[in-house]
Amino acid sequence: MKILSVDDSKTIRMIIGRSLKSYDCTLCEASNGEEGLAVAASEKPDLIILDITMPVMDGVTMLTKLRENAELQAIPVVMLTAESSRENIAQIARLGVRDYLVKPFKDDQLIEKIGRIIPLGMKAAA
Amino acid sequence: MSENVTAEQIASTIGLEAIPENVRSLTSLVSRQDAPMQDIAKLICANKELTSRLLRAANPRAASEDDYTVTSVDAALMRAGVGCALLLAMSDPLIRAVKRTFETMIGVDLRDCAPGVLVPLEKEHVIGEVAFAGKATGCVNLRLSPASAGGIASNVLGFPAEDPADISDVIGELGNMVVGNFKSNLCDAGLTCKLSPPKISRTQEFRLRAVGGGLAERTGFRGSDIEIFVDILVNPWND
Repeated sequence: MKILSVDDSKTIRMIIGRSLKSYDCTLCEASNGEEGLAVAASEKPDLIILDITMPVMDGVTMLTKLRENAELQAIPVVMLTAESSRENIAQIARLGVRDYLVKPFKDDQLIEKIGRIIPLGMKAAA
Repeated sequence: MSENVTAEQIASTIGLEAIPENVRSLTSLVSRQDAPMQDIAKLICANKELTSRLLRAANPRAASEDDYTVTSVDAALMRAGVGCALLLAMSDPLIRAVKRTFETMIGVDLRDCAPGVLVPLEKEHVIGEVAFAGKATGCVNLRLSPASAGGIASNVLGFPAEDPADISDVIGELGNMVVGNFKSNLCDAGLTCKLSPPKISRTQEFRLRAVGGGLAERTGFRGSDIEIFVDILVNPWND
């Protein structure tokens, strides 16, 4: 399984990496929506974890473009954001997301959300 | 796309702590901009905590209640205007957001307190600033000592954080979480606004500056070996 994390915060990308280190998956990263689209096109991830507020291209714009792209539109997206107003949620839901996690969050909350969408097996012992 | 979640499903599972009804009512009332002052005063008078915080905000130089020169809700609103009520409405969701963020991310139970109780930041310290603009305009500053900032960053990252860039990124992200949650509560109550990306700096200056024509309030937080000053600066009715 391949997961793409798109967040401008290195801290959040590190937390996601730490959360997933015991699981048998590959993590790709991007720091804004524009990079995220490029990595999604080249890596074809099984799931995207997407922030909203980012420089260069925000998460809503990236999600919109993702849904317009025939090759990428079926990739499930989990929003991971501090933005939780009803207006924002309604806008995001209209664009189609598989789940939504509000920052601050705990590692196990993220794993639970991901595990509901794609199979997350533990890494084999070395 | 039938497997995607709906807005209602998301809203029902997010689990955000709702702000108290009196604070929500005050925020909704203040967001109208033309709300009668007596309605605002009546709502504040009915709640002891709101009254206490309004008087504290209206007497910014007072070290204790004995030093208050403004002693009634009506006088506080007359002197400071509706902006004071706006600040009051914003403080509650901000305090809740600070506590929730630090409890979730580093497992520390922060308690709010008078800022005078904390050790003053007299030397260089870290400031994380997140600005918001819209029906409510201003910014929130998190101020903390380099030791507190380093301790928090190490806790979040899971290893000793020594690189100033790592520490700045953690404090910026925590500030983003605090203000993002705070802003969402404001938006839901009618004070729609947008956030700017967090700015992190180090300074020796320790002065609560109000946005032009605006108001400011400082709250202290302490828990474990962490102390944080949180300033909210509001410029009411920018639009």
